[in-house]
Amino acid sequence: MTGPDHSTAPPDPCATASGTPAAARAGRVSTAVVVGAGLAGLTAATGLAARGIDVTVLEARTRVGGRTHGLLVAPGRQVDAGAAYLGERHTELLSLVEELGLDTTPTAMHGASRFVLGPEGTTRDGRFPPLNAVALGDLFELLDELTAAVRPDAPWLTPDAARLDTLTAADWAEQTLTHPDARLFFPLFLGEMMAADPADISVLHMAFYLRSGGGLRYLNAFEGGAQQDRIAGGAHQVCERLAGRLGARVRLGEAVRAVHQDDDGVTVHSTAGAYRADVAVMALPPLLADTVEYRPWLPVRRAGDRTARGCAVKATLVYPEPLWREHGLSGWSVNAEGPLLSTVDDSPAEGGVGVLTGFVTGREARRFGALDPGRRRAAVVEQAARVFPMLPPPTGLHITDWVNEQYSQGCYAALRGPGDWLRHGPTLTAPHRRVHWAGTETSTEYFGLMEGAVRSGHRVVAEILARG
Amino acid sequence: MSVDTTSAAHPVPSGPDPSGPIPSAAHPVPSGAATDSLVAVFRRVLETPEVAADSDFFRLGGDSLIATRVLSAIARDHGVELSFDDFLLAPTPRALAEKIAAGR
Repeated sequence: MTGPDHSTAPPDPCATASGTPAAARAGRVSTAVVVGAGLAGLTAATGLAARGIDVTVLEARTRVGGRTHGLLVAPGRQVDAGAAYLGERHTELLSLVEELGLDTTPTAMHGASRFVLGPEGTTRDGRFPPLNAVALGDLFELLDELTAAVRPDAPWLTPDAARLDTLTAADWAEQTLTHPDARLFFPLFLGEMMAADPADISVLHMAFYLRSGGGLRYLNAFEGGAQQDRIAGGAHQVCERLAGRLGARVRLGEAVRAVHQDDDGVTVHSTAGAYRADVAVMALPPLLADTVEYRPWLPVRRAGDRTARGCAVKATLVYPEPLWREHGLSGWSVNAEGPLLSTVDDSPAEGGVGVLTGFVTGREARRFGALDPGRRRAAVVEQAARVFPMLPPPTGLHITDWVNEQYSQGCYAALRGPGDWLRHGPTLTAPHRRVHWAGTETSTEYFGLMEGAVRSGHRVVAEILARG
Repeated sequence: MSVDTTSAAHPVPSGPDPSGPIPSAAHPVPSGAATDSLVAVFRRVLETPEVAADSDFFRLGGDSLIATRVLSAIARDHGVELSFDDFLLAPTPRALAEKIAAGR
């Protein structure tokens, strides 16, 4: 196993999550430890607490939020350095947003786009790139066919799953795409949709991801799609408000090293102590969940040998105001060369500052990760000047490298490689005795999105209540 | 919606009469079969039965990504490669059928 080997130590009865020995309440779950204070863990903890279960949330970082993170770009103005977008179909997240007294704000997408797909940049109305439309249509028809065929609730049971799980998306593109424009666009599209290098994911995972998110069109669209809105003031506020309600039950700066179970309960060992409870919820991405030592050991690990980190780096370019709008531009761009494969206007609706978010995804994220900080910044600023030659240099630049975040291990979500779904799918949500699994990667609905995280939290609450 | 066609990378217009988007008597009369087949394509890609010969693709919720799927289907079924600009100028089954007839 990948976790550190802990010497056997008796559980510390003084550190129970409830203050009451779990065994004293046999027959009913009364105490729970939730590992991870991201959206999934906090949703689960909130649901359990609401049903009278004594919950402790352990978070390795000194902040809550996981893959949501607010970045202060101007006084009183925060933008999303992590997960940002949502759409109407994200019903569980939307009701949480409303319940917490937060608002959504439409993603601004008015004006022309910039495309740098060859030696020269070009400006065009709308979001359609200057590429052969029939070739791209052929690509999307093929992707739609794969997406329609996948079993969304259980991708490992998809007809032909064994073959689709063997082939990488890069292999598939090599065998299937003939037009150079389709070959150029495919990795850009997968980078934008899934933060994936096509070589990292199986065809089954690609088809599942696109289906899980609502299909090609929904997942790709801003207006009327999965990027229709943002949470005003930043998505991290959902987590912050949930954590605020949970109060002292959320413990920051405690990384979990081991989860030991016996007949009477589970003991979660963190860097600060041991917590005893009836059940534990691991609300972590699969690669991170595998860094914990489990006793008894996990029959099937959470990640496979080919599971890769989601390859997303966000570059936040700050301007005095959304200057591109004066040039009739939306801020949207698509670029064949990195680091910034696409940019989008993420300016706060309240004004006072202009923000372009640049996405460094897939293979570009790896290349970028190898550069030292000075080179990274220079590369972003140079590219911004190439893509938006009409703009002055940004007055501020923040780079959020999710690939190298120790306690996320990638973003948007883990990338399932060849063999992963067939081997790990069947145990995706199956409790390991007293240990339950949450996190957006455990949700077959809206996998990889905030909505998937919230749904996984609700599912885990239902599972635990059903234990009796 | 207007599209900048000055880019070198832009696909060449494939219709014989890119300057004349308005159907006129000079155009070949589209077959009803082509219109019908496009109604079926619209229904398939838009995932709605609410499509008639004069339904506007974008009013039905279509976007550029799905529009390319219609163009792919046209190339496959009718052997005519229309550009994205052609589509923007003729976003109904009937108008596209006219473009196909003109493109043959």
